[in-house]
Amino acid sequence: MPFYGYLSFLKVSEMHEKIIVATMGEYMDEIMEYTLDIIQERKTEVIGIYVVETSTPFLTPKKVKEMMATELRDQGEEILESMRQEFQSSKHYMIKFKKLLREGDPAEEIVKAAEEEGVDLIILGTGKDFIDKRLLGSVSEKVVHSAPCNIMLIKTI
Amino acid sequence: MFEVIILVLSLIISLIIVIKAADVFVDSIVEIGLALGISEIILGVTASAVGTSLPEFGSAMIAILTGSPDVGVGCAIGANVWNIAGILGISAIFAGLITTQSQEVRRDGLMAFLTTLTITTALFLIGEITFVVGIVLIIMYVVYLWILIRAQKSSKSKDREMECCEADKNLALNKKTILMTILGLFGLAIGCRAIVYSTVELSIMASIPEVLAGILLAFGTTAPEFFTVLTSAKKGLNSLAIGTVFGSNIFNILIGLGIPSLFVTIPVEPITIYFDAPVMVFMTLLLLFLIKRGMKLTRVEGIILVASYIIYIVTRLTIFS
Repeated sequence: MPFYGYLSFLKVSEMHEKIIVATMGEYMDEIMEYTLDIIQERKTEVIGIYVVETSTPFLTPKKVKEMMATELRDQGEEILESMRQEFQSSKHYMIKFKKLLREGDPAEEIVKAAEEEGVDLIILGTGKDFIDKRLLGSVSEKVVHSAPCNIMLIKTI
Repeated sequence: MFEVIILVLSLIISLIIVIKAADVFVDSIVEIGLALGISEIILGVTASAVGTSLPEFGSAMIAILTGSPDVGVGCAIGANVWNIAGILGISAIFAGLITTQSQEVRRDGLMAFLTTLTITTALFLIGEITFVVGIVLIIMYVVYLWILIRAQKSSKSKDREMECCEADKNLALNKKTILMTILGLFGLAIGCRAIVYSTVELSIMASIPEVLAGILLAFGTTAPEFFTVLTSAKKGLNSLAIGTVFGSNIFNILIGLGIPSLFVTIPVEPITIYFDAPVMVFMTLLLLFLIKRGMKLTRVEGIILVASYIIYIVTRLTIFS
């Protein structure tokens, strides 16, 4: 269930003509399912975003940094392509899909892309359990604090 | 006290110099290789295998050749135990889950096990690392590299290979690359010499055996592996995380001890033969056992690995010091 629940679900969903869907590949099916639930039969522009996180500690070898960036870029392309296939299938004729592959801090890039594209809604998964959030940090928590529009958090764990 | 501070500072600074110099050296060597027409696949595989392990190799090589073989052997074996139980364990705790593929475990995991088994058996039988043992180790590494290159070639699509070869043709060897190679090599040599000097001096001051100093030195020389494994595990690049550990462990023994033994027979302390080397075999087996059950390393398994390392280092520092 999404954090915001279904309380004003239908009312809110009518306002959304441009949605940005952020994913790192995990729980993609759940996130896409909720997105399609919101869209229903309305004409909507969906932007799928994947952010390649390029930051590495000071002593990481340069070749390794390059390998990581290449692997993550390939991974991102694959994920965005599967999103495109789902959102642009014939049964979802009302969706106009656009892929966005960015590099940098995931939370910052998602917020920046949402501002630049002028979207009405950001959809992303909560992704991590309590321990992971403490050890790895949470992208969704950072996005919540600086988003320029509504956010829908899909509770994936 | 002042002397200790200076030595510790010199150790830290020289470690940073060595790690950065290794970076510059590997980069320049890859550029030279490309300019000479060597396949990008061969260079890529070699660079990633060698890149993170150069600080251990350099330190072990300089230590062995300058009359402190115990530091060299301790550094190579200590790095292998720390790579598995410390680095991979900590990374699994932080990332929560590190997955792998059976093909990689069969190839790299088995090779890492064979490597540790070969050196431990040789030490049990001969008690030192001779020229012949060195040749066997180096041949094993060449075979492993060949297997890696073959696997990489088959996984790359023909189109991408053609693209890379088209691009390669445009590269030319320039003076800057050669200068950077020399600078990188110079930094490595000077840095490793300073590392070995500081380590030996500190071990004398602290009255600890040189082997133990080498084992502790491995915390520093494995910094590139630590950041590579931790970062890739956190980013979900699991193959890179486990591959780096196996690759580094194979390199540390086969090349890190193989190459110096071509110049001088390496004497090995009984404590290393009967305790450190078997622990290294045990840690490799433990990792393989944990990974084999579901091709993944969980947070709990990470804790098991770190706990094993703590038991090892405490035993080493107290009972066998």
